[in-house]
Amino acid sequence: MNSAQFEIQLIASLVAIACAIPGTFLVLRKMAMISDAISHSILPGIVVGFFITQDLNSPWLILLAALTGVITVALVERIQKTGLVKEDTAIGLVFPALFSIGVIMIAKNANDVHLDVDAVLLGELAFAPFDRLTIGGTDIGPKSLWVIGTILMVTVGLLIAFFKELKVSTFDPGLSASLGFSPLIIHYGLMTVSSVTTVGAFDAVGAILVVALMIAPAACAYLLTTDLKKMLGLAVLFGVFSAISGYWLAHWIDASIAGSITTMLGVVFLFIYLFAPSKGLIAVIYRDKQQRIEVSLLTFLLHLKNHTEERERHVNHLCEHINWQKVRSQTVLDLALKNNMIHINKNIVTLTEKGDDFTSQAIDYIITNEDAQIEDMKDDFFLFRG
Amino acid sequence: MNELAKELKAISMDDHIKETSPSKTVLAVKVDDLTVAYNYKPVLWDIDLEIPEGVLMAIVGPNGAGKSTLIKAILGILKPLAGSVTIYGKPYHKQRSLVAYVPQKGSVDWDFPTTALDVVMMGTYGSLGWIKRPGVKEKKAALEALEKVGMLPFKNRQISQLSGGQQQRIFLARALVQDASIYFMDEPFQGVDATTEIAIINILKELRKAGKTVIVVHHDLQTVPEYFDWVTFLNVKKIATGPVMDIFNDDNLTKTYGINYKVSVQK
Repeated sequence: MNSAQFEIQLIASLVAIACAIPGTFLVLRKMAMISDAISHSILPGIVVGFFITQDLNSPWLILLAALTGVITVALVERIQKTGLVKEDTAIGLVFPALFSIGVIMIAKNANDVHLDVDAVLLGELAFAPFDRLTIGGTDIGPKSLWVIGTILMVTVGLLIAFFKELKVSTFDPGLSASLGFSPLIIHYGLMTVSSVTTVGAFDAVGAILVVALMIAPAACAYLLTTDLKKMLGLAVLFGVFSAISGYWLAHWIDASIAGSITTMLGVVFLFIYLFAPSKGLIAVIYRDKQQRIEVSLLTFLLHLKNHTEERERHVNHLCEHINWQKVRSQTVLDLALKNNMIHINKNIVTLTEKGDDFTSQAIDYIITNEDAQIEDMKDDFFLFRG
Repeated sequence: MNELAKELKAISMDDHIKETSPSKTVLAVKVDDLTVAYNYKPVLWDIDLEIPEGVLMAIVGPNGAGKSTLIKAILGILKPLAGSVTIYGKPYHKQRSLVAYVPQKGSVDWDFPTTALDVVMMGTYGSLGWIKRPGVKEKKAALEALEKVGMLPFKNRQISQLSGGQQQRIFLARALVQDASIYFMDEPFQGVDATTEIAIINILKELRKAGKTVIVVHHDLQTVPEYFDWVTFLNVKKIATGPVMDIFNDDNLTKTYGINYKVSVQK
């Protein structure tokens, strides 16, 4: 691995981290589409900034373009407030308009601007190591590394300082306002960070990948944890993993780095969507199946509890009495036997003491819905896990 | 029903006789000429309201009467079109530490990745102010509040794994941890089972006994005389406010709900 390769991976990883942090809050605030709007509508800001500064990595350009991002959010909210259209429609109205202005500006000034639409959409990560920052003749690394590194440090600093404010205003804006943490200020703070990050990452990875890096890692993390700090950590981890593995995928199949990283994000999400321990597709299907069996078991036990007459409890007649097919009856019967809830004597099924207790407790729970009683039953039975 | 109602009335009279004696009434909340509008359509119109210290007050009124809006405007969450609000004689933003707020349960996303304990800790954020983080003291207060509402065994439970009643108790614990003088609660009994409702009202009555002022947006008119000693009838305009035994009658109910009401306590 040569130094250019290393630098590309480093830049991609820093971009991934810088995106995952605001991305996590955007996902939790159900504002994922706003990042799409910002990433597109900052284009005119970048173009105008480039006319003024002639430098894609100038801090002024970044701030100017980020301002366009914040204006986008304000415009979306303004349109939404009229009550004439919903939020998604407002987003759909604002960002294509701003983006197209940017596209026209690039096209009209193609000779003066080193920007083209391809680069805007997909970035030029492969060229990032060639644009170096030098201080007094000494090469101190690629410019975009410094840009995204600075943005990341500021983002992490703000996250640490305002973690509790971000959390409370995201979870409960009403409480946040009553406590004196203005949700509006925090909202626009987050929008500013998202915009600055988007602009900083834009040059390296382009408009489409920025969105993917903000949303996909956070969405993956959301499926895996119930703790906000862990969610942030996991989002960062998935972002960096996709950035590095995406780079090597691009290397291997000789394709666009940005495209490969985005593909890896998709692959990671698909994998987690399938295999996440409690929210994943397979876990959900498995749990549904278990619950179906357990509800059947409970129905069966209740039947035994309610009927003392032997006719109703004869193995051969059970399936008629509770109207099940033989296979299902057999599964349920086996499960009850395995758990020592019934015993069978001369083909007559009887509840054991344990089975009797379990049934009463379970019925109590279902009637009262009082959780405390069944805390210890939860480990054995899916049914009560909610 | 009437016998029961009379009995309940007698109990609630006992409870609040000392608070309502006019000589030493301190106003916890004073609302003057408050008008709130959404898109220039007034939802609260020229409200004057005085809430004495130490009452347990229900705000009742039909859907869309502006009950939640009134609370939000008092707490500065909504900006009024006109009028002013004072808490113990000063504007709200100077008295934040005296006020706790329980929003409607449905106003937050219960799938948010956090635990019961963490939600209760949020109640301490106000006294911490910006940037400072909660520490051991805040955690201890939160655990005590969880204990009070009977939710200590669930402290590490993810909030989506709690039942509706448990979620409401968590919200109540979060308000308790604020250790305020005035508690605003937006429909704390919505979607909770009977056990939780009793648990919550007992805690609210305890708060009143400790001299706190509790203001509750309430829907179930039947329980007003049993739970509360003070009531405000609201329907865009204020219809009436005062002690339950004086003003909770068919006349005010009819004025508020617009149909003939015969559920109230017989005079």
